Amino acid sequence: MTNNANGDRGQHWEAQLRKGCLEMAILASLWQSRLYGLEILRALSEKSQLEVAEGTLYPILSRLKTEGLLDSEWVEAEAGHPRKYYWLTASGRRRAREMAGAWHEFAGRLSVLVQPIMGGR
Amino acid sequence: MTSAPGVDARIETYLNRLESAMRGVSVESKEDILREIRAHIMDSAEHSSDRAGAVDRVLRLLGTPEELASRYSAECQLERASRSFSPWVILRTCWQWAKLGIKGTLAFLVALFGYGMALGFTVAVFLKPFMPSKIGWWSGPEGVGIIVPDHPELMHEWLGNYFVPVIAAAAFLAAIATTHILRWMMRKRAPGLTVPVAEFGPAVEIQTPPAVKVRS
Repeated sequence: MTNNANGDRGQHWEAQLRKGCLEMAILASLWQSRLYGLEILRALSEKSQLEVAEGTLYPILSRLKTEGLLDSEWVEAEAGHPRKYYWLTASGRRRAREMAGAWHEFAGRLSVLVQPIMGGR
Repeated sequence: MTSAPGVDARIETYLNRLESAMRGVSVESKEDILREIRAHIMDSAEHSSDRAGAVDRVLRLLGTPEELASRYSAECQLERASRSFSPWVILRTCWQWAKLGIKGTLAFLVALFGYGMALGFTVAVFLKPFMPSKIGWWSGPEGVGIIVPDHPELMHEWLGNYFVPVIAAAAFLAAIATTHILRWMMRKRAPGLTVPVAEFGPAVEIQTPPAVKVRS
């Protein structure tokens, strides 16, 4: 197997991992405050280096709202145009807490497993 | 540098194409989506010194209007189908879902098998009065089937006069079970399934405006 093939596979694996974590990341970004779409993108990018394209984010926000995990409201800004702010519902906060707990436990266990690999760097 | 009217025309063209391409989305949701995407484009461009370049960049990151619309449509169709009992709605949605990945393909195969079996049983029930000696629940060395085998003398028909009620009930149960399995699969689908994994790969530039004071 070539290095290139390994690299492509590695990138694909990482992309799958990012995709799998996206719902938790979006819910987590809204844990402390109401945000509109661009602010959610900024939070994901700045706090976790999770770069998500706009065309990816908005349909997912729409779905999370349909599921009752998020709610939203159009807010008029003093300057500029209205923005659609999202926030976690009670159900969304519950889901976020469950996902964060599961993630913490999972990551902790895997960390033990990969420790020898990281130590060998 | 592109003139402002040219930029605005590109935004309007994008939004018009998005509106046309969104199928299966309610009028109310469509208006809300268009308003949000418009606000996003404005936000992304208004603090940039190169407005045309910023608009081009954000339109590229949004994907083509048709791609974006297909994601909204797929999410809406899956959401609606996951609450529907109509085999036609569920089968059609599974076909759309199958184009998006392995889980969708699996769901479509389940739909084909389950609804195909229900349809086959139903047709057999309707044909039985017209072809009483050819339709039945046959089993023997040639296997099991509901159409008269090549060598009937080697086969045994098990249901006799009970064929119609038993197979009608089997058709009903197959349809109901398939519907419930597919509704469950749709409800358990992963978030963002309508987005190709490749989009979660290399980082893309995100330009954000400074925070704006909000009046509630």
